[in-house]
Amino acid sequence: MTKTIDIVANITGVVWTVDVEVGQRLDEDDPVVTLESMKMEIPVGAPCSGEIVEILVSKDDPVAEGQTVARLRP
Amino acid sequence: MTDYELRKSRALGMGGPRKLAARRNAGLLNARERMALLFDDGAFHEAGLFAASERAEDRDRTPADGKVLGFGAVDGRQVAAVSNDLTVMGASSSTVNGRKIAYAKKMASANGLPLVFLGESSGGRIPDNMGARGMGASAWDSQQYARIRETPWASAVLGPAFGSSAWYTCLSDFAVMRKGAILAVASPRVTAQAIGQDIDPEELGGSEMHARKSGLIDQVVDTDEEAIAAIRTFLSYLPSHAGEQPPRVASIAPKVDPEMLGTIVPENRARVYDMRKVLDALVDADSFFPLKQRFAQNLVTGLARLDGRTVGIIANNPMHKGGALDYDACSKAINLLVLCDSFNVPVVQLVDQPGFLVGMEGELRGMPAKIMSNIQALQMASVPKLSVVLRKTYGAAFVNMGGGANSDEFILWDRAEASFMDPGIAVNIVHGVSARDDPEQFKSLHASLSADSSPFELAGMFSAQAVITPEKTRSHLIRALELHNRAPTGGLGKRRLANWPYA
Repeated sequence: MTKTIDIVANITGVVWTVDVEVGQRLDEDDPVVTLESMKMEIPVGAPCSGEIVEILVSKDDPVAEGQTVARLRP
Repeated sequence: MTDYELRKSRALGMGGPRKLAARRNAGLLNARERMALLFDDGAFHEAGLFAASERAEDRDRTPADGKVLGFGAVDGRQVAAVSNDLTVMGASSSTVNGRKIAYAKKMASANGLPLVFLGESSGGRIPDNMGARGMGASAWDSQQYARIRETPWASAVLGPAFGSSAWYTCLSDFAVMRKGAILAVASPRVTAQAIGQDIDPEELGGSEMHARKSGLIDQVVDTDEEAIAAIRTFLSYLPSHAGEQPPRVASIAPKVDPEMLGTIVPENRARVYDMRKVLDALVDADSFFPLKQRFAQNLVTGLARLDGRTVGIIANNPMHKGGALDYDACSKAINLLVLCDSFNVPVVQLVDQPGFLVGMEGELRGMPAKIMSNIQALQMASVPKLSVVLRKTYGAAFVNMGGGANSDEFILWDRAEASFMDPGIAVNIVHGVSARDDPEQFKSLHASLSADSSPFELAGMFSAQAVITPEKTRSHLIRALELHNRAPTGGLGKRRLANWPYA
């Protein structure tokens, strides 16, 4: 089983939308969640292509910079 | 062989056939091969071929004393270079090779030559540097590290770089690093001894760390060849010395039609986009030379050409952190301003920012002072400064990004807006009402606090010189660069940032 990769928030904010489901395949930079911060909708992109294995946040959750929002298997 | 021929062949033989073969097998170029690659015809005018250690017992095993120094042409212009030879006592710093570096710097400044450091060095030489006498002998030059940016300096980190090579990399205007090289104050072994912990070299000073975290490295490459090519490209944007303007080349149309600018940037200001796509439709095709691309990605900086003229780019990137300036982004902006102001390069700022990124992390690092450093650098820079607001510019960062009198021309797109803060936040701050708790009251207060943030308000009070439509951005900037040309001084600025310590 390949190691999973943590997808971390790049800014402190609130979860605006969760853009993926568990099992979904993504390409690099595809949005995983969108955060509302600084009055903008800021996507957190996949660091590489792979399959989403776990989602750790839901809509309206506060998220800190560096916090893991989902995990992906490359 | 005559005595002369013998001495010469020993000096050119560097650390000997065994060490040179080991490097070749590892796919590494040696110090002289790197010099040959840097210069147009592979040849250079050497100074100090017969230099050697001051210690009699080391004299026969220190060809060129571990640092090869020479002068040659890069794209037809003369350049000075120092190439560290790791096969000779680890290119460690000694009295004699210190003298060689001092000579290289003096001649580069005296003759207006860019200076290149091809770096890998193990640090101070032992036993030369040991004891009080060693320390005293190592500090004989009161201006050794007083960088005054009379000519551009560029460094390549091509192996272990501790001590000398680390210092000169940080003093340089451009630093490229080969993957696998390590840049740190001291070697992992010395560091591990000092703090009694295991040290992972890549974590201590690998290219990934410097490109993302420390921001000391401007570009990362895979090979020596790519590193030296990057230095040649960097120098092509700059004048040979601060007393002249950057070279101008033939104009090339942008990669993407400037007519597309209005659609590349989404009108909805809550939506993000990649600022680098704006550059594709703005600057001469393939001319953008990014600096610190993976450090503080919320700000894009680099050199580029507009109509064949070199410009420095400072651009918010909404794709990362909404384009908000934080501590590292301010450092990155200062670096670019220092480079441009030192070498007569006009600055173009592309503005789309929601205000400073506030929070604990920035405050703990001293964010207010960094904001002031950024503003001070901008206001002291005397090269032409042109700023274009694409969509919005909020808060105190309005000034950092060239607002009002902080640019020679402050230009806004017709759809842009400027204000102290987003009215939605202001309602919360002033009245303590949020959209979620009381939507009706929020809506009415929002309307009352939405002072007109139109670009025509700024233009109306002549705090902005122009309002343009997006597709005119390139042609407007090209015309502005022709006008703001500092003709009375032959295009030269006052260079007040030339003495700025490394940001």
